[in-house]
Formats: sequence, structure tokens, C-alpha cells
Amino acid sequence: MSAGLVAVLFVAGGMLALGAFTAPWRRDLGAALASLPLLFAGAGIALAGVARFSATGNHELAGQEMAVLLAVAALGLVGLGVGLAGREAPR
Amino acid sequence: MDSLHAIGFYASSGVSLLGGLGVALLPRRDWRGAALALCGVGLAGVYLSLSAGFAAGVALICYLGCALALAAPGYRQIESAINPLWRQLAGIGAGALLVLLAYSAFKGDFVSAKFYGGAFDTAALGRLLFEHDALATEAIAALTLAAAAGGAAMWRLRSRTR
Repeated sequence: MSAGLVAVLFVAGGMLALGAFTAPWRRDLGAALASLPLLFAGAGIALAGVARFSATGNHELAGQEMAVLLAVAALGLVGLGVGLAGREAPR
Repeated sequence: MDSLHAIGFYASSGVSLLGGLGVALLPRRDWRGAALALCGVGLAGVYLSLSAGFAAGVALICYLGCALALAAPGYRQIESAINPLWRQLAGIGAGALLVLLAYSAFKGDFVSAKFYGGAFDTAALGRLLFEHDALATEAIAALTLAAAAGGAAMWRLRSRTR
């Protein structure tokens, strides 16, 4: 059994499509915010896969660096969105 | 990629996509948070099987943080006023995007390169963090130290005032 760049890109595409589906599908904007980590996960998987299977020269870490950046950006954007949504008034 | 990594990749991909489906479809907020955490665990497994161990660790922490933030009961619900027809069209568009990406993955002609990094690629990571970007690494270490010291000081102040 083996896995190559095609399998990685297929999984990345699935994750991107899930994120693109979640964003308009959820009525609650807070729930729609969860599409951002999914979209970024798809992009991160594709970048890490390209770095693993197709990077030449000294660029084998470039995809991994971008994947780290995307994960941190996802956390930051979700935190920002939840913060902007505000908290419910105490009942 | 050897068989063990390939099995890890496929299993982690399944876990990650299952978590993503849960985020998209589950009705309750805490369930969606748990699904996002599951998606993060799967994503970390995918990165790990792609020899990106550092990204796996960071992604796991960040996605667990995202899951905690989205599962928290306190944030206010804001309903969007989008016509249901547009939402259904957007769902069809997401399906079309999946077909397009799958087609380009299968039919694309990609460069194939030999990977010399090893399972975790620690040598390249060490060269990057401690040779090329040493100043940035030290800045992050100082920031982490300051945050930990500040957190400890706040915790002590709060416990004194009680």
C-alpha cells in the first residue's frame, strides 16, 4: 500500500470543499466560522503534500511552514470571530 | 511512502474528513466543537504521515483551541438572512468544486521528487529554526516566557484576592 501526491490532493480537495460547503450552509454565523479551519486544513494538506512529494532543492520545509502559518491563522481568525460575535447576556 | 505511513495517512484522512462532515452537519454547538477537535486530530495524523511532525504538533494545538472557542456556550448566535435557495446553490457549488479539484488531482502532471527528510525532518527543522531564523525563534521563546510569567503572576494575584 502506498500513497502519493494524487491521494493527498484528493483529501485536500475534499477538505476544501467541506469548508466551502459549511460556510453558506450554516445559518448561525458562529457555526459558519468553523468553515475557516476546514478551508485552511485543506490548503495545509495540499501544501504539505507538495512539499513531501514534489519539492526540489532546499524547499522541503516550505509546505510545512505554510501549514503551520495556516493553522495559527485559523486559530487567530476563529478567536477574532468569536470575540466579535460577543457573549450572550447572562440570564 | 512506506506501507505504515500510507495506512496512517489514509486512516487520518478518514478521521479528518469525518470530523469535517460533523462540523458541517451536526446540529449542536458542543458536538460541532468535538467534531472540529476530531478533525484536528486527523489533520495532525495526516501531517505526521507526510513527514511534517512540527506542523502536526502546531495544528493539533491550534485546532483544539478552535474547537474550544467554537464549543463554548457563551458566544452570541447571529442568524444570517440568506435566502435558502442561495444556500442550496452554494452547496451545489461546493460539490462542483470537489469534482473540479478531484479531476485536477487525477489528471494533473506533477513533478516527482525524492524526499530525503526522514520521518520527522528534524535536521531541516533544526537548520531552519536555529540557523536561518534563529532571531525569530528566540523572539518567540521570549514571548512565551513573558506570557507564562504574566499568567503565573495573574494567577497568584487572583488567588491572593480570594
